[in-house]
Amino acid sequence: MNILILNGGPANGLGTTSRKIRDAAAKEFQARGWNITAYDLDTLSIKPCRGCFACWLKHPGACAIQDDEEGFIKSWVASDAVLMITPVTFGGYSSALKMALDRSIPVLLPFFVKSHGEIHHPQRYRQRRRILAAGTLPGPDAEAERSFHGLVRRNALNMASLRTESQIFFDSADDAEVAARVGELAGAAEAGS
Amino acid sequence: MNTAQRISQESRKALLVIGSPKGLKSASHTLGSYLLKKLEAGGLGTETLLVGAALRSEADIGRMHEAVASADLILFSFPLYVDQLPAPLVRAAELLAEHRRARPPVKPQKIMAIVQCGFPEAHQTRPASDIMRQFAKEAGFEWAGALVMGMGGALAGRPLEKAGGMARNAVRALDLAADSLLRGGNVPPEAIDLMAKPSIPKWLYLLFANWGMKNQAGKHGARKQIYARPYESR
Repeated sequence: MNILILNGGPANGLGTTSRKIRDAAAKEFQARGWNITAYDLDTLSIKPCRGCFACWLKHPGACAIQDDEEGFIKSWVASDAVLMITPVTFGGYSSALKMALDRSIPVLLPFFVKSHGEIHHPQRYRQRRRILAAGTLPGPDAEAERSFHGLVRRNALNMASLRTESQIFFDSADDAEVAARVGELAGAAEAGS
Repeated sequence: MNTAQRISQESRKALLVIGSPKGLKSASHTLGSYLLKKLEAGGLGTETLLVGAALRSEADIGRMHEAVASADLILFSFPLYVDQLPAPLVRAAELLAEHRRARPPVKPQKIMAIVQCGFPEAHQTRPASDIMRQFAKEAGFEWAGALVMGMGGALAGRPLEKAGGMARNAVRALDLAADSLLRGGNVPPEAIDLMAKPSIPKWLYLLFANWGMKNQAGKHGARKQIYARPYESR
């Protein structure tokens, strides 16, 4: 299994739990014999999407902006599973993770098709993947947690995910708890094989 | 509105924050500026801020904090990107929340959101309005509500007054929202329902949208490459 780990946590203290999850995930996935590609998104140079649709209409499948996003898209296309790690930011993703995801629309086709009773863009590539998400919070926040899980579910629909699992990790979680929960995420990805 | 009411309103300010990278040419600006003009006609002072420009330098970020701090009502108008806010708007929200934690606001401030997506179903914007409500809670704003719509592409960045029947529901919804906000209220439920109502049948929108994509790709000489898979490795 080719797994892509996207760490959307910042390099400062806000990203501590994200880094803990990233490290535990790398260890878990390695133990399972998976091929890992990992990005600390905060350290990449990824410019914002311009909304120009050149990736659909001028040179289909490739973004007009040349930066670190190209490597990210290649890794995305080759992946069987993606683990998105992010501080839960107002119930959504951090700006670093969002910056990379906004630029991923070349993996979609411009057309509209009906799927699951609503309209979505078809996938450009045949390859489908499992979508795993780990959100971090300082402590319980029912509304933020609900919003985060809802966002992951909507992403999964638009990304035609084979299997989707999202979990919230509180900053108080110790290494053993993080390792156990990451193991659950890995198990969910494997069950979707 | 009498003179005394007008003078009282003029001391209040509405700030329009455009979250679309297309800036003044965007459907976000079309919708947001229409509402802003209504608020201006009702006596509010107004200002417009483009998120992309507001994040260019530390000085620009400082000006964004000042603009937000001085506003009584802030309208965030943006397109749906990958099921939520465009990344630069998430970044602006992160910076604003951090700034306001260090310097708590000195007056009550309200925010509302206008969210549009290219999908025909307005409900696909739900995570975006949830995130804006949560942002309001965490950054110390009062939440006035969200107007969300599908088929946003049909507005194509034209002034709303010139968009004809396609914009009928949006115009009425924004008029209702302006009336309520000027009276100190929130976005009324009738406005929310009207904004979310499809302006044309779904099948017709899809027909135009899919034809339009092929047509535009053709104009760029990319019609035959539209299904290209440049990064396929297996």
